[in-house]
Amino acid sequence: MSFHLLFLVSVVAGFVGAMSGMGGGVILIPVLTFFGMDIKNAIAVSIVSVIATSSGSASTYVRDRITNLKVGMFLEMFTIVGALAGAAITLVSGRRFLFILFGVVLLFSWAALFRQRNEDQHSTVYQDHFSQWLELQGSYYDQSIRETVTYCGTRAYLGGPFMFGAGMIAGLLGIGAGALKVLIHDLVMRLPPKVSTTTSNLIIGVTALAGTSVYLSAGMMDPGLAAPVILGVVLGATLGTHLLVRLTNQMVRRIFLGILLILGAEMIIRGVVGV
Amino acid sequence: MVQEQTPANSEKATTSHHFDMEILIGYILLVGVLLSVALLAIGLIWRWERSGNLRFQHTIVGMNFSEFVLTSLRQMASNELRPRVMLNMGIAVLMLTPFVRVLASVFYFAFAERNWKYTLFTGFVLGVLTYSLFLR
Repeated sequence: MSFHLLFLVSVVAGFVGAMSGMGGGVILIPVLTFFGMDIKNAIAVSIVSVIATSSGSASTYVRDRITNLKVGMFLEMFTIVGALAGAAITLVSGRRFLFILFGVVLLFSWAALFRQRNEDQHSTVYQDHFSQWLELQGSYYDQSIRETVTYCGTRAYLGGPFMFGAGMIAGLLGIGAGALKVLIHDLVMRLPPKVSTTTSNLIIGVTALAGTSVYLSAGMMDPGLAAPVILGVVLGATLGTHLLVRLTNQMVRRIFLGILLILGAEMIIRGVVGV
Repeated sequence: MVQEQTPANSEKATTSHHFDMEILIGYILLVGVLLSVALLAIGLIWRWERSGNLRFQHTIVGMNFSEFVLTSLRQMASNELRPRVMLNMGIAVLMLTPFVRVLASVFYFAFAERNWKYTLFTGFVLGVLTYSLFLR
């Protein structure tokens, strides 16, 4: 795979990833393997680029004070252990299994995105004692409605174990697994949508680091491949967030849903047929 | 003269307290990513200027993070500063970015907020990450 193609693919993956809020990995890995890269190398290269994109966007969100640091730091304990386990599984598992699992996760993300997000702010939630003890409440200033939104996170006893699973998927497949994390924040812990996305961004960075160090020590990190991918994904993500100011209209959403569906089906077929 | 503690004053005090942690983390992440991207870009441009070729062929064979950093630093010290070393440093800085963020959170919770619960939580995360960086 030529340098130019690698760089271009990464820019597009970063761009689409940032625009859709899904992260670059879900696009990057299917495309890299399509051009002949081994899926395990694609996973290793992708997960290191995930550190860059998630840290980049988290730095903005954290300073905007929407991210709930305590929720993030509590859940990180589970995701990093999951990521270490997941990456270790990838090292020993067969390639066809990885293709099929990747396809399944893509289709799952498609389903999660397809379902309309309920936009109520979950303002009156009963907070259990454990979540209360964890101090999982907060507030942020919502610029679109010009109001300070207060909320409390709940069911942390469920959120933690679920996050272990999300971290495992992230480590296994070299993706941020942001869709899964947002879903857990949203459905289990009842956090407002904006807090869900920004907090999951913070968690993704350390989770990806845990996975990356496993792939590095296994000798699967190729800086010559990782460098253009990191640069490309960061450039694409910057363009996606800053120049286009988030095109959240129906059209973009539909295109992205279509891409996810095609890539998901393609990965499953390649896994079943045998690459 | 004793300054009266008005509600506005105390509110300002708590928000500025809050402010520190988030600004600190925000800038650690920003500086880490920018530095890493700069190192990687310099490495690639340098390589291109030297050989007119951007394709690197070098895989690190079974090395954990600490060995990886030490090797890169040794190469730097022995005047072998080549494009490849720049790429390695770029990746090392990128990997250290979330790590330093967690380290800063431990100190913040321990000394600024004196919140033992979260000192313990972030300390656990730091421990697991440190373990993973020395993984063999």
